[in-house]
Amino acid sequence: MAAYILRRLIGAALVMIAVATLVFFMLRLVPGDPIAAMLAEAGSDEAREALTRKLGFDQPLIVQYFKWFGNMLQGDLGASIYGSNQPVSKIIVEALPRTLSLAFLSFVIALIIAIPAGIIAATRKNSAADTAVSLFAFLGLSMPDFWLAILLIIVFAANLQWLPAIGYEPLSAGLWPWLSHLILPSIAIGTGFSAIIARMIRSAMLEVLNADYMRTAASKGLPTRIILLRHAFPNALIPVITVIGIAFALLISGAVVVENVFAIKGLGRVLIQGIQNRDYPVVQGAVLVVSAFFVLSNLLVDLLYAVIDPRIRYS
Amino acid sequence: MMTDATLEPIPADIPQAPKRSRMRSVFSKDRKAQFGIIVLGLFILGALLAPLIAPYDPNEMTLDMMGSPSGEHILGTDDLGRDLFSRILWGTQISLFVGVATVAISLFFGVLLGVLAGYYGGWIDMIIMRYIDLQWAFPNFIIAVYLVAVFGTGLLNVIVAIALAFLDDFARIARSMVLTLKEEQFVDAARVQGFSDIRIMVFHILPNAMAPIIVQATVSVSYAILGEASLSFLGLGVSADTPTWGLILADGRSFISQAWWLGVYPGLAIMLVVLSINFIGDALRDALDVRDADI
Amino acid sequence: MTDKDLHQRAMEELKDAYDFDHRDPLYGLNRDDIRGDTISRRATLRLLAAGGALSMAHVLPGLRPGAAMAAGHSGGALDCAWSGVGEIVTLDPAQINQVLQFQIASNVMSGLMHIDNSLVAQGDLAESWDVSEDGLMYTIKLREGVTFHNGDAFDADDVVFTFNRSSDPEQSIHSRVIGNVAQLEKLSDLEVRFTLKRPQASFLTKALERASGRAMTIVSRGGIEALGLAQYGLTPVGTGPFRVTSHQQGQNLVLEKFADYYDPERPKLDKITITPVDGVEPLAAAMEAGDIQYIGGNPVPAQLVDRFKNNSDLTVDVKPGPGFQSVWMNPWRDYMKVTDFNKPIEELKQEKGFMVRLAIAKALNRDLFIQQGRLGNGVPAHGTINPAMGFYFDETLAETSEQAYDPEGAKALMAAAGYPGGDGFPEIKLQTTPNTKRDGQVVANILKQVLGISVAVDPKDFSVGIEEFQKMDFDLRLGGSGGDYDPDDGLVDWMQTSSKFNGPTRDKEAMPFGFFSEADADAATDEQSVTASPEARRELVQAANAITSNKVACGFLYHPVDILVYSNAVNVPADARIPGLHELDRISLA
Repeated sequence: MAAYILRRLIGAALVMIAVATLVFFMLRLVPGDPIAAMLAEAGSDEAREALTRKLGFDQPLIVQYFKWFGNMLQGDLGASIYGSNQPVSKIIVEALPRTLSLAFLSFVIALIIAIPAGIIAATRKNSAADTAVSLFAFLGLSMPDFWLAILLIIVFAANLQWLPAIGYEPLSAGLWPWLSHLILPSIAIGTGFSAIIARMIRSAMLEVLNADYMRTAASKGLPTRIILLRHAFPNALIPVITVIGIAFALLISGAVVVENVFAIKGLGRVLIQGIQNRDYPVVQGAVLVVSAFFVLSNLLVDLLYAVIDPRIRYS
Repeated sequence: MMTDATLEPIPADIPQAPKRSRMRSVFSKDRKAQFGIIVLGLFILGALLAPLIAPYDPNEMTLDMMGSPSGEHILGTDDLGRDLFSRILWGTQISLFVGVATVAISLFFGVLLGVLAGYYGGWIDMIIMRYIDLQWAFPNFIIAVYLVAVFGTGLLNVIVAIALAFLDDFARIARSMVLTLKEEQFVDAARVQGFSDIRIMVFHILPNAMAPIIVQATVSVSYAILGEASLSFLGLGVSADTPTWGLILADGRSFISQAWWLGVYPGLAIMLVVLSINFIGDALRDALDVRDADI
Repeated sequence: MTDKDLHQRAMEELKDAYDFDHRDPLYGLNRDDIRGDTISRRATLRLLAAGGALSMAHVLPGLRPGAAMAAGHSGGALDCAWSGVGEIVTLDPAQINQVLQFQIASNVMSGLMHIDNSLVAQGDLAESWDVSEDGLMYTIKLREGVTFHNGDAFDADDVVFTFNRSSDPEQSIHSRVIGNVAQLEKLSDLEVRFTLKRPQASFLTKALERASGRAMTIVSRGGIEALGLAQYGLTPVGTGPFRVTSHQQGQNLVLEKFADYYDPERPKLDKITITPVDGVEPLAAAMEAGDIQYIGGNPVPAQLVDRFKNNSDLTVDVKPGPGFQSVWMNPWRDYMKVTDFNKPIEELKQEKGFMVRLAIAKALNRDLFIQQGRLGNGVPAHGTINPAMGFYFDETLAETSEQAYDPEGAKALMAAAGYPGGDGFPEIKLQTTPNTKRDGQVVANILKQVLGISVAVDPKDFSVGIEEFQKMDFDLRLGGSGGDYDPDDGLVDWMQTSSKFNGPTRDKEAMPFGFFSEADADAATDEQSVTASPEARRELVQAANAITSNKVACGFLYHPVDILVYSNAVNVPADARIPGLHELDRISLA
């Protein structure tokens, strides 16, 4: 097991290095001149040269690469080439709680919807409730998250004025300010995700309910509620755990779009803004961090899988 | 779609080549699938006949801006006075084309890589799998965003970007199917008969590996349509002059409270098509007896 | 006072302002006029006129009779949205490159001078000043007892520090603004002297001005040292009426009243929260829900103007905007090639390339564009000189210009160029930014309708687009300028062979000039810059403007308008309404 974990860790590290390298060189293919964008209308030739020197863009690409890579290993992701050159690590550290708050709340909302839906659908297989859950799941999967986001803004922010349309408040500003800004975007992201989980819970529950030990428990005369909540549900949750890996991908992808609708400067918005501004260091940093999370969460899921399902060989 | 690549595949029952009767029986019972086929059929028909049945030129601007749905404009007009119904109809062409073209490209190259990796193993497998692992470190949508940023926007670029983003899914499935199948007797038999590798791959292994690939392809079409819509929404999509659903929605976004139809109908079109495809995909999964674990 | 009377008085004031001999370094002013602790309205106008920075927009506000505004009480908190932007990238004066940034910075940091809305140049950190006979030496006595937000005392060393920092192109992108300063000396702790290379009438009112100048916006040595440059860019320390107490980029920015501000009357508000809002619907929703009571930043989106006007809770104040937007045409593309504009117009009109350019410009149905593209907010443009420049604006150009809207003439020109009904004309691209895509679509549609040519709109991020534009690697581009209060801002910056936007990074072997080059226009532009007599200058300005219009330096499209929107709960006195700026320290809650 230890050897397996070590092997996977090394593999993950190699993937990250490859990602970092690819990101660095591919970004240089992106058309667009960051210096022109930065100087906007204020630029003179001398200012342009001064900036190019300052940012090291006058050095050979390979030199820039090794410099960047070396710094990265020391945790220095460089600085944004815009404005007053915020360190990328700071931008990301600021963005992370926003995306994580959003991801967390989306996940919670998804579970709040999915767990009862999945259980009801499984226990009343082929009933009207099951059909409704199944339809909901399909709708959730088929609805573009940004569309849902817009509809939510129109209904709950513009017309009913229950919740703010945009922005973010940190938890330190209070529970309600934090929550109120995140509810709509979390629903926009969480709905699609809840559909996936509800389906998984349903099929996992069905599998468990058909298992021999369940029939045994039922024959012993245990109340259905107890059987369901004590025995079936915990077992059914196991495959759901593995969804967490997918969760991160979905939540990040959702966040890229939805953060832009709600003007929340999380990782997704940092990434898109970086691309739009050709802010190389920021895009590199954002892609790296997103990828790192993704690689790590997959690693975690694989390890969980290995723990849960002993049939998997650590080859 | 996101199972782990580096694990050896769990030995699975080899799905039998689907019998036509089974397909028929699943689809005749599955109302959702019937709904999907009808709705999707209507959209395909609409896409094909768009030049004939669209009441207006989708790009024709008038001063009747943000006109609400009426007899003249059944879905209303947009912020530039263009007929929304005609735009959505023409958008169907693009959206479906993006969906299908993307998946076709992705499927071809993905399966090619997967089959090569699975069949030959060794260093070929290692190289291909390392690449796939690498790509796997990114969520598909992030890859697409990133590639569009590199290639630039435009129909072709968007198709290539999304296709590349989906490549690993097909490669992974194809590889794991091949790994299981190549130990089968019928493959050994073919080998003994002296058939070439290509012939064995194309005529013996692939047909038996198609079921999960077909299901994956169906689902991927819907993801591709959603992906294109999302890219357009972020301003990273097809050109400004091509009416696609994502773009219509993105353009209408700024006018949505004066003209709700701009926000509702294109979104509804996306949802209906994606929903239909998902219904059909689900029925195919049943009919072809593909388990989630295979995808 | 009716608007007509106002206009009349404004014209008189303008004339008086320009009534001097430009060879006189003091521009007809008594030395006492520009010494002391304020510069009178008349003297300021005259200095502005001489410096080439005077416009009708400057004159009008101060003439408005002081509306009997219920004086808002002190205290309270205001929530502002900064429109059309996802985050405030920097507030460090040395890095500021967008108007929406100095709109905020100007409330946090002081300059030496600040022009108020009635165009009286007030000393900001300058208490009084003196100008030498030759107009080259400005001796400035600094305000005493001023402290920075961090408690440091302000003195001459801070002026010197700011000057040195702003003069270094490695540290500041505005070094050109103070390029005319030969030397700055510290005379005592509270006295400094600038020595100029050449007389510069606008020195006090432009280079030392706190908002638009940027170069001499006083920064805090202690603040930069303590915070580091990156943090200083977010939460700069200054001597202004508000201090930045928190700045989460992409989230919000909080300003709080600086209790030790040198003017005890200001600021009125205790706290201001500024939230950048990128997106039309969220902006409207936040404003209508009352989450936000005041909009700054980029112009309010056109489709919201009527909606806000119809909202009885909101005040919408529309003024002519200083700027222009054009359809730029690349003269190095084969189908609209013009390699030499220095020919009589009739001769140019015989060239096929010029015919196409003129046809495109003539086809621009500007009224339709404004109605459809800008939803009615804008003024047709035929040159760089905008209506906010009042005195210089040429109303007749709309009729006399070669490029006045004329669909039949445009069609005839296309046919004569060999593309009857657009047949045989290649499909070309119209480059826009993502934000101006919609405008581009309207333009493309107009060209299609009138000329029968296919124009594909190609929205590109600003950074990509500007690079291609500067390299002359585009077919058509939609773009232009804002913040143009003086003819120089349009003519010198855009229309001369040497203009900073005129293809600066093009391949100079293949393309001897950028998008336009015309010797007479160059000469007239140079001359108007140093011409003092207003009538004479106007003549030159309008001559240059007409040449660029007739010979199609670009297809001029429209002049934007300046729109301020705020809740009725906010009291925005007349002296807080300076075009393009937000004087938050004068704003209060009603």
